[in-house]
Formats: sequence, structure tokens, C-alpha cells
Amino acid sequence: MPRGSGMSDGVTTITMTIDGRELEVPEGTRVLRAARAAGISIPSLCDYELVEPFGACRMCLVEVEGMPRLQTACTLLPANGMTVITESEVLTKARRDVLELLLINHPLDCPFCDKSGECDLQHMVLKYGPTTGRYTEEKRLVPADHSDHLLARTMERCIACERCVRICDEVQGASALTMVGRGGDTRMEPFSPDAFDCEYCGNCLPACPVGAILSTLEMHNYRPWQIDREVETVCGHCGVGCRLVVQVRDESIARIASHPGLGFNRGLLCALGRFGHEYVGSEDRLSTPLIRREGDLEECSWEEAISFVAERLLRIREIHGGVAIAGVASPRCTNEDNYVFQKFLRVGCASNNIDSLSRLGFAAAQHYLESMLGSGITANQISSINGCDAILVVGGDPTAINPILGTTIRQAARHGARVGVLGHAPGLERFTAAEVVPEYVEEPAVLEALLVEVAAASELTDGAIDRKISAYVEEMRPSCPPPDGFVDLVDLLVTAAAPAIVLGPELVQRSDGYRALASVAGLTRVLGARLFLLAEGPNEQGLVDVGCVPDRLPGGVPVGDTSAGKKLAEMWRGSVPETPGLSLMELVEAAGRDVRALYVMGENPAFKLPNGSHVHGALSALELLVVQDIFLTETGLLADVVLPALAWSERDGTFTNIERRVQRTKRAVAPRFGRADWKIVCDLAAAMGHPMDYAGPDQILEELIQASPLYECLSHGSLDGDGWLVRRDLQPQELEFPTGPWIQAVRREGRNGVSLGIERSLFHSGTTSRHAPALRPICPEATAKLSSSLANELALRDGELVRLSTPQGSVTVPVQIDLSIRDRRVLLCNHYEGKGVLGLLDYTVDPVTKAPGLEACGVRIEKVEVEEA
Amino acid sequence: MTLSGAAIREIEQLRAKYPEPRGALIPALYVAEREFGWLNSAALESVANALALPSAVVRGTASFYHLYRHREMGKHLIQLCTNISCMILGAEGLEVVLREKYGLKPGGTTEDGRFSLIIMECIGVCDGAPAMLIDTDLYEDLSEEKLGEILASYE
Amino acid sequence: MLKRLLNNTDAPDSAEIDEYMRVGGYRALKVALDASPSDVVEEVKQSNLRGRGGAGFPTGRKWEFAVAAEGSPKYVVCNADEGEPGTFKDRVLMEKNPHLLIEGMVIASHAIGAEHGYIYLRREYPRALDRLERAIHDAYEHKILGDAVCGTSLRFHLEVFQGAGAYICGEETALIDSLEGRRGQPRTRPPYPVTAGLWGKPTVVNNVETLCNIPLILEIGGAAYAKIGTPSSPGPKLYCISGCVQKPGVYELPMGTTLRELIFDHAGGMRNGHRLKAVIPGGLSVPVVPADAIDCPMDFDSLSEIGSSLGSAGVIVMDETVCMVRVAHRAAHFYEVESCGKCVPCREGTGWLGKVLARILVGNAEPADLSLIDGIAGAIYGNTFCPLGDSAAEVVTSIVKHFRDEFAEHIEGGGCRAEVA
Repeated sequence: MPRGSGMSDGVTTITMTIDGRELEVPEGTRVLRAARAAGISIPSLCDYELVEPFGACRMCLVEVEGMPRLQTACTLLPANGMTVITESEVLTKARRDVLELLLINHPLDCPFCDKSGECDLQHMVLKYGPTTGRYTEEKRLVPADHSDHLLARTMERCIACERCVRICDEVQGASALTMVGRGGDTRMEPFSPDAFDCEYCGNCLPACPVGAILSTLEMHNYRPWQIDREVETVCGHCGVGCRLVVQVRDESIARIASHPGLGFNRGLLCALGRFGHEYVGSEDRLSTPLIRREGDLEECSWEEAISFVAERLLRIREIHGGVAIAGVASPRCTNEDNYVFQKFLRVGCASNNIDSLSRLGFAAAQHYLESMLGSGITANQISSINGCDAILVVGGDPTAINPILGTTIRQAARHGARVGVLGHAPGLERFTAAEVVPEYVEEPAVLEALLVEVAAASELTDGAIDRKISAYVEEMRPSCPPPDGFVDLVDLLVTAAAPAIVLGPELVQRSDGYRALASVAGLTRVLGARLFLLAEGPNEQGLVDVGCVPDRLPGGVPVGDTSAGKKLAEMWRGSVPETPGLSLMELVEAAGRDVRALYVMGENPAFKLPNGSHVHGALSALELLVVQDIFLTETGLLADVVLPALAWSERDGTFTNIERRVQRTKRAVAPRFGRADWKIVCDLAAAMGHPMDYAGPDQILEELIQASPLYECLSHGSLDGDGWLVRRDLQPQELEFPTGPWIQAVRREGRNGVSLGIERSLFHSGTTSRHAPALRPICPEATAKLSSSLANELALRDGELVRLSTPQGSVTVPVQIDLSIRDRRVLLCNHYEGKGVLGLLDYTVDPVTKAPGLEACGVRIEKVEVEEA
Repeated sequence: MTLSGAAIREIEQLRAKYPEPRGALIPALYVAEREFGWLNSAALESVANALALPSAVVRGTASFYHLYRHREMGKHLIQLCTNISCMILGAEGLEVVLREKYGLKPGGTTEDGRFSLIIMECIGVCDGAPAMLIDTDLYEDLSEEKLGEILASYE
Repeated sequence: MLKRLLNNTDAPDSAEIDEYMRVGGYRALKVALDASPSDVVEEVKQSNLRGRGGAGFPTGRKWEFAVAAEGSPKYVVCNADEGEPGTFKDRVLMEKNPHLLIEGMVIASHAIGAEHGYIYLRREYPRALDRLERAIHDAYEHKILGDAVCGTSLRFHLEVFQGAGAYICGEETALIDSLEGRRGQPRTRPPYPVTAGLWGKPTVVNNVETLCNIPLILEIGGAAYAKIGTPSSPGPKLYCISGCVQKPGVYELPMGTTLRELIFDHAGGMRNGHRLKAVIPGGLSVPVVPADAIDCPMDFDSLSEIGSSLGSAGVIVMDETVCMVRVAHRAAHFYEVESCGKCVPCREGTGWLGKVLARILVGNAEPADLSLIDGIAGAIYGNTFCPLGDSAAEVVTSIVKHFRDEFAEHIEGGGCRAEVA
């Protein structure tokens, strides 16, 4: 070790002097960032903490003792005894010179520029000058491009720091931006409007130090200093739960901002998080309760709505018992809302019939995997993917379902991790080292074959767990020859030192999903892999953890556990029913028969469940359907009473993300109408004679901490900053593989073996995104996506209208050829009214996870003439 | 228009030579240029598809290099050197001749589509200054008369 | 003097492998293959060979770093992107003596343990491409390249990679970026290419002429080689001379030959009785020297002492008919066109310099514009990412410094009176 160097937290440090201050800095950290960490600010325009050092703007020039030339602090590596000066006359002149050169072609249109006030160039000119310019020639003309509906480029303002290009390439992995030309003609461009790989994450917006890239949502509306307040909160779109900043002006959301480095997501956001907020201020929001009178929904008062629902629920409970009442909770609602909701159903209605649409994925898989591998097996930090050297992705595209997790996989791949994909993950296409695209129904079989190979290549011990794995593997009879890419996938896994497995919902949505999950559990165990479970909603983990499942109470305590039941009964002042309730698809089956009343909080089952016509019929057969939401949804239209709730940024509470990180989501704007979900439930409980009074979400959380063993160590204070991670308590001894008789995948292929699958879009999430106009133009309509070979076979061309028909219904949509699809599936998303894919799919419930199996649903495709459509 | 099967095979062979597909980009752009005549959007897109590279990467790289054909060009490409050694021995005069006699401006094409002209930085034939390349043919010690004779020899 | 690098190049078929072998070619390779890689590196270190690309870095040390670097495979890359205006020696070597280069590269691969090599050849050299491809083909046929070099266990595969027109790719890290299919812009250092170069692997990048010196070193020994030329800049040197001289061309002379000897003894003196006015001694990236400086020896150190540089040894000679404002303007234009655009001072400053010089040339300037040129050059110099910006500033300011009166005349007299030749 060289003299003067030391060790601190296992990192070699170097002693150097910056501006007379002796500093110990980690070896390998460039001087600019080391100085910044020590509170010494060195000016820079091209350095950006999320991307590699670049050395282009030359503003960070510093003097280094013993070096004749000025050095750029952003690229300079510290050395022991190095002495650096960051401010001097020489440096001021150099910086003034650089700024003069930057300004010769700059339009100097600050009065007109929305960046004015938060422009790095402006700040630096203010500090270092020059105050006048000597340039008398014509300025370079670079045409502005405001044709994109979200990102406006005013390239004359561009200083070619390439921060946007670098973040798009290095961090987002979209590589949609590039510098084109050379020398003085260098400028940033998207490739061309029709071949634009933009993912609309908008991470280039905060990266741009000047006003060259601006969001059209905020252009010419206000200046940065006209913001009333900033609220740091959690995104409400998906299970990652990114931290972000809501900027508020006139009690509405002016901008979703992010500061580089903020939160575990380091300030990165996706399209939905950054641009998908307009639904909050939408004119279509439900503003008043509705009640069905003579067949029509009409406006009514809160009192009338509440007393109507209370009266009907009481009557049904009295006549048919609590089991005739059921509730559907929501992964979009907070822990507090969901906790109160399940408490109301359990003690107010005497029913354990509570579940959510998380049954279609996260909740089903999470429970099963935890039962095999122990509590917290999926509670891994997303950032740890960066340290993994092999990543197996199965069951969906993480870049669409949980974008920030997806981009983390891309970053890991960029740094050498090998990514293996089983199935369809177009967002990882360029980052994939091994890919297996089996026939969709064969995916569990491929996973079983993988487990066989990986177990064979691993040194299994004589321990109880390994014996179980060996025995399970013994039973496997690989049924088909290994598909293309299988060998590479095996190699990728068995050579990995730090593997991760990322599991998406498609692997759960199948009648034999539990077999796939068992193999995943086996792989996780044999490989010692970190397991990540994707979640579409922002609070799917929270939903499970606070007890919105039919068989478990808050904290995962099984229903029927007498001591826990007793404790809760005391706390809740009412008895908790002791038999597990019905799961989601069982509720649907029982609707109109055993189940008479359904209370839906913040969810839209009429649109988001398979076999839409069947579900529609079931919901219509109910005696009472109550829907609580912010918009009038397909389900709301069937309801007897509709209750307006609050949107994401209008309420306080907590969300639990897929890492099991509990984070505060905060009220940023005052609600215009509606009531908090928990408040509506409490009002109803009171009307039913079971008062549940809380001063606010904080008080609910306090009770929840008491009620849930998971939250023993949670306090309000621990929720500050990046939130609180639930402690992992793995007890893998419980690993129990399923035994036969084996459920077989259901094949319902249509003619020619063509089947219908779900497309998950990065830009839409259903209800909320329908009311976010910024997102709609990105993919304005539902399309039937299929491979070019299938299109050729069916003689279909891009844009032609087709009717997709299944026994459950049909939709008419245009064809879109998608080069990333390589199997015989037609993909359709589930976002557009009347054009959802889920309603068209038939299902068979997985007997173990109770998730509806949607595999291989046959579909008929017919060309439709325009007049007919 | 798309790449011919032969061109796609050629690009695949190039791709196999480098540890990453990107290594084949610069030679593959020449293949596309040959096929499409110049690097228009379709040419760039076809290379992006053939090498599975982001379109932006292909465009960014292509636009950096001045010897790709970034616009439609004539049948023959005159690459006239005007750097110092050629300049002091008369290259500027040749540029004037090309402009006045043939209507050829730097970056432009003759009306009959026979020639395009690009001004080169040093082409490394300073001992034969002034010099130029027409396509891949080298001409040295140019004079006004010689230039006329040479151009006349191209159809 | 004895020609070593240009040995036999007057013969019409000097580029053919049989002819090359007839005059002793590939003998040095045998010597190298009989020695251990470390002995080869040691020999090159002893020779004190300094890189001929312009920077003059000791080649032996570069190889030593690459040998010590962790990572495999390792690469040998020949920088044949000879874009420096006034320089054409590498073209002549590749056209007339391509096997000398191949021999040098095979020896280098043996020394550093590389199995793959690339010759990054500029697009402007179609004839060199033909010759090199033929030579490489023949070298494979003769088992000089391939999986068993000269019947040994050494593997070495070599191919030509054509650039696409960018001067900056002569800078070794930009060249590597270009080989990787990127925009050829200089990289942040460290890491240096010897530790993390092509595809992140240890890479030696050597100029054509540098590699062509390697067989000679192996043949006569490093110690004997070190005695050629001057002690601090040993070896034979190729000087390119062009411009207003009788016999422009490439001359192989010992390091340290003076400019006067080069112009008047070798290149036949000034053309048509004209007077010497100025010389660019090392390609367009080095400061111009006036006529009275021509007794300076042409080696790395002596030219530095008079404020210029050996650079690529591309000597451009100008006589009294040449307008120096025009030269300065053309030089600035060159840098504007060839700036990669990455760093601010070079991207913005070179264009501005060109614009001001253009105004002087057309008689639309003011006296203050001369100090503006110094101001702009001062804003560029020392502040850029790579040496390209420094060169632009130095070349222009050296011309203004030595020929200030000529600039003043242009400003006062309403522009350039020199006719377009």
C-alpha cells in the first residue's frame, strides 16, 4: 500500500489537499466528485452524477501542484499528496474563456427560456462572466424541433455536454439519443421521427443543464421560482415505488421532478412516473357519490350513499351471514386504506372474503414462494441487481412492468452481467446473452429442465433441503428436447457467482403456475439467487402484508391462528372469523349465489379480469355492488353505489414496494372532491354500528404496527428518507415441493396454433393512464401485435384492421407487426376501453396459488374491411 | 428498399469478426452505402437492424465520418485535396475551375449527375501536390489542363 | 545513406513477398521467434525507439506496460490513419514495403502476447489498401500469419480496418473508439490503451513507421540501433517534404538531419529560384518556423527548443509567393473541420478563429482582430481535451507571431493581394 493511503470501510483511501483542506478520499473516485462529497463545489456543465466522467465542458479545470497544465477535476484521479486548487485568477480566466466560447453560438434567449432560473449555464456565467462578448459573426443555426408531443428540443441552446445522450445510453439503456455531425456541427438528435427508440422516461430533462430539452407539459406555463412548494413522495404507478418530487402551483401538480441521486431510484423515473400525473387533475374525476335509481346512476349525497350501503350490508349480513359479503382491495391504495378495509370486512362484516387483483400475479406468487423459502425471500433491494453477474428473467418484461428495475438490469448487463430471458422481454433484447422462447405452455417444463440441469451441476449436500431438491429433480422427466438457447441459459446460471432471478406475472397466470414457481424456488435455493418478484401496482406487497388476502391476517398470520385472532379481536373490538375466505376468482364464481354483496375499493374487475362477459354477468347478479374509485370505471357502471375517493397525490399514507420497503406517500395537492378511502370505509363502519375512528393515516399506521408482527421495529421516524425495509426472516427449512397428481397446462389453441397473450405497455397502466393525455399519443390505440412471419402467413399487413375473437368475445383493432415477437402469439394490451385483452381470455384457476390460468388461449383472426368496422 | 440477401450475409460475416456487433458498424455502413447509393435513413435503419444496434448509435457514428456519402451523389466522386501543400501549389485554382467550368461546388453534383465534389483535408499525396482522388483513382501534379483531360476520361 | 525502412523500394516489385524475402525480409521475425517475448521487449527498450506518430513515446515502455497489463486477449493495432497534413511516409511504406509493416506487427504480437492485430487504415489510401490486402494474403499463404506463425505455436491474425474520414482517429484512443464502431472521440485517460484499450483489453497502438523500425532493431540489435541518429532520438527517420521545393518526397535520413540539409541537399532546393519564407517542420499540428530557423536539427528535442516540434516529420516548405494569412486561414479551417466536437474550446474556438481569419483575408477586419486571434487561441490553448485544440492555437499564433506585418497589411490594405495560384 502506498504511503499515506489508508483503509476505511474496506475502501482504500488517499490523502490529498483541496483548497488547503486535507481530505481523505476513496481511491478511484475522480477529484470533482470527491470534492463535492467533501462540500467543495467545482463548477461543471458536463459532469452528472449518474453517468461516467466525460471531461468535455472544461469548466472544472483546476490547478494541480506539479502539473504544468490545468486538469479537469471530473476526470482527474486523486493521488497521495496531490494538492489541488479549485479557485484562482488563472482558473477564473480559463472558465471565463470557456463560457465566452459557449456563448458565441448560444441564442441568449433567457427571457424566453423556461430553464431560466434553474439553468446551470446561467448560474455559471453569473459567477465567472463574461459580461460582454467579442463574437461578431453570425450564430450557428440549429433548427428547433417541437414536433414531439412531450419533449421539445431547442438545439441552439444546446451546449453539447452530452448528458442527455449519456444518460439515455448508459443509464436508461434506450440509446434513443445521439450526437450527430462533428466539430462545430455537432448536435443532439433523435435518429428520426419514425425510428425513434425513445422510452419517454424523461430522464434527459433533469440531465439537460440548459433549456435545450424541455417538457412540453410545462413549457411557457411558469418559471421555476413560481412553484408554490415541493413535496417529496413516492410514485404511485408501479411496484418499484420510486422517490420523486411533486412541484405544486395553484394547488395542482405543475411538474414531477426528480433530483439526481434522490432515493434508491437515484432520481430516475419512467414515462408513467414523470408524465402520467395529469389524471389527478382530470375533469373526468368522480366528484360526488352516485346511486342507482330505476336503473340509472344518479348523483346523491354522501349521507344517502353511506346509509344506503350500510343498511344493505347489514341486511345481507343478517340474512345470509358475513360470508355473503366480499371485498376487493386495491394495490393502488395505501397500507392504511387497505388495512382499514380488511378490518372493516373482517370485523364489520364478519367476512374473510377479501382479496385483490394482485391474485393475478404478485400476491399469488409471493405467498407460495414464501411458504417454500421463508418470509422475505422476495425482499431484495433493486440496487443489488447491479452487483449480480447473471440475471434470469422469466414471466414478463421488467422494463415494461417495473421500468426502473428493468433499467437496473440493463445497467448490470452493461457492466458485464449476463442476462438470460425465458419468454418474451423485448425491452431487454439488446442486453440478453441467452434467450429461450419456448411455446408459452411449455415454460414451466423448461424451468423444470433448467432445475434438473442446474441441480446436476451444483454440489448438493446431504442436508434436508438438498435432499428434497434431489428427490424433486428425480421425479422430473424432461418431456421435450431442449429448446434453442437452453444450453446457454444453463451455462449462464451454473457459472454465476451472484445470480438473480426476476419473476414476472405471466408465469403465475397459468393453471400449472405453481409448478413453475416450485422450479423457481428450487433454482433460487440451489443457486443462492436473489429473487425479485415484479408487481404492477404500487402497493401489492403492502396489500398482502396488511391482510388483504382471504387466508391471512395483517403480518401474514394465518386466519384461524387463535392467539393472533384473540389479540386482534381485542384491538379491533370485534371477533375475527376463523375460516379463510374466498379468493378472487372464487368470489367471482360465487357472485350472485353465496356472495351477495361485493365492495370494490379502487379496482376495476369488470375490465381487468379474464372472461369479461362471465365476470360482467357475475357482477350484475350481485345484490349489492359498491365501487369506490376516482373515475367511473367499467365496474362502477355496474355498481349500485359509487363513492368518489382521493387520488395518489391527494392523500397521506404508506406504500410497500417489491423490496418490502415501506415508504411515505404524501399529500401534495389539496383534494377538490372525494374522501380518502380509509375515511369512506370508516364512515360506513360507523353507520353500521361499528365505529372505527382515526384522526388520520398516522394513527392507522400506529394501530397497524401493533397489529402486524412484520412491523415490530417500524416507527414513524424510520419512514423518513428512503423508507423502512421489512426485516427478512428466512426459514428455508419449510421448502416443500408440490407432489402429484400434476396439473397440466391447458391448451386452448385456436386454429393454426395461434394464441392470444397480454401485452404489457411501458406507457399505460389502465385506468389512470387513460386519463393522462400526455401518455396517450405515445401509443394512441390498442393494436394486435404479432411477428412478421405470422403476419405473412395470415396475409396481414401493418395497420390493417382485424377482429380478434375468442369464445369470450371479440375486439376489432389494427395489426402491428412487432419484430420482437418470435412465437405464434398475438399480443393485445389491456388499457383501452372496450379493447382489453383480459376479457377475451378464458381461465382455469391454479389449484395452489388460486391465480387464474390464462395460458394458450386460442384466438381467431379475421381481416375486417374498413366500412364494416 | 432493403438490403439484398448478399449484403445481409456480408454484414453477418463482418459481425462474426468482432467481439461485439458494434465492431462491424463502420465496415457495414460501407456495405449499405454501396447498396443504397448513399446513407439515407433506410440505409442506416437497415444496418441498425442487421447488427441489432440502436438506430441512434448507427446514425451518430455514420454522421461523424466525412467519407461516407451522406447525400445523394453523382456517378463519380472527386475528392480534391486543398490542404496547405496542395493549396500553395494551386489547388484553390482547381476548385475555381471546377466551379466555373463544371458548375461543381463543394458538396455539389454536376447537372448531368456525372461528378460530385468534396473538398478533402490532406489525402497524403503532398509530394504529388496538387492531388485528388476520383473514386479510388489517384491523380497527382494536377494542372487546369490535366484536370480537364482527366474528367473527360470519365463517363 | 543506407536505406533500411525504404530498403529496395526503388525496385518495381518491392511490395511482393518473394522480393521482400529475397532482400532479407522476415529474417528479423525468425530472430524474434527464437527469442523469448521478454527478450524482444528488452531489445526494443534498449533501442530507445521513440514512437513515430508524433508524440515520441518510447515504444519499448509501451510494450512493457501491455505485457504487464491484466486481461486477455491483447491486441496490436497499427495506426495507419496518417491524416497529418504534409505527411505521407506511412503511405509510401505501406505501398512499397507492406511486408516490413507486417513483420513488425508479428514481432509485436509475439512480444506482448497478442493473437489479433488490426491495421487502422485511412479511407484516403486506396492503393495502400490494395497492397496491404495482397501482402496479408501472401503472408497467410507463407504461414507468416495464421494459427502457426512460421511453424511455431504463435497465433496471429491480422486484418485491415478502413476508417471513414476523420483526422482525430489518428489519436490512439479515438482510433480505438472508431474500431469499436463509435464516433471517434478521444477517451478519458487513465485508463490508457495499454491497460484497457480495444474492447477494454490491453492494446498496443503503434504508428506504421514505428512498427517498421522493429525488424531492424531485431536484426541489428537494440544497442546498435540506438547508435543511429542522435542519442535521445535514435534510429533512421522518414522525412516527408512537400511544398515549394524541387524534389518533394520521402527521404530516409538519420534523426537530427537539419532542415537546411533536407531542403537544399536532399529535396533539390527551392523551386524556380524562389526564396524560402517559412517551414512547417512536423505536419500541420506544429508551429511554423521562419526561414532563419532552418539550421535546427530535425529531432524530437532540438525542434522543441525552438518552439516547434518534430511531429510527424512532414515538412511543408513555403516560399515568398505564399500568403501566410491564407495559410493560417486554411490551417484554422482544417482544425474546424476536423475537431471532433467533444470539448468546448476546440469545438467553438476553431470555428471562431477561422471566421476572424476569413475576415482578415477578405479585408473586413480591424487591427483589434489580431489581439482577438491571440485571445481566442489563448482560450483554446491548454484548455482542451486532447492536443488537437492546442495545435490549432499554436499553429495560428505562430504564423501571426512570425508574420504579423503581413496580417497588418491585409487588415489595412483591404484583404489579400496574392492571386489564387
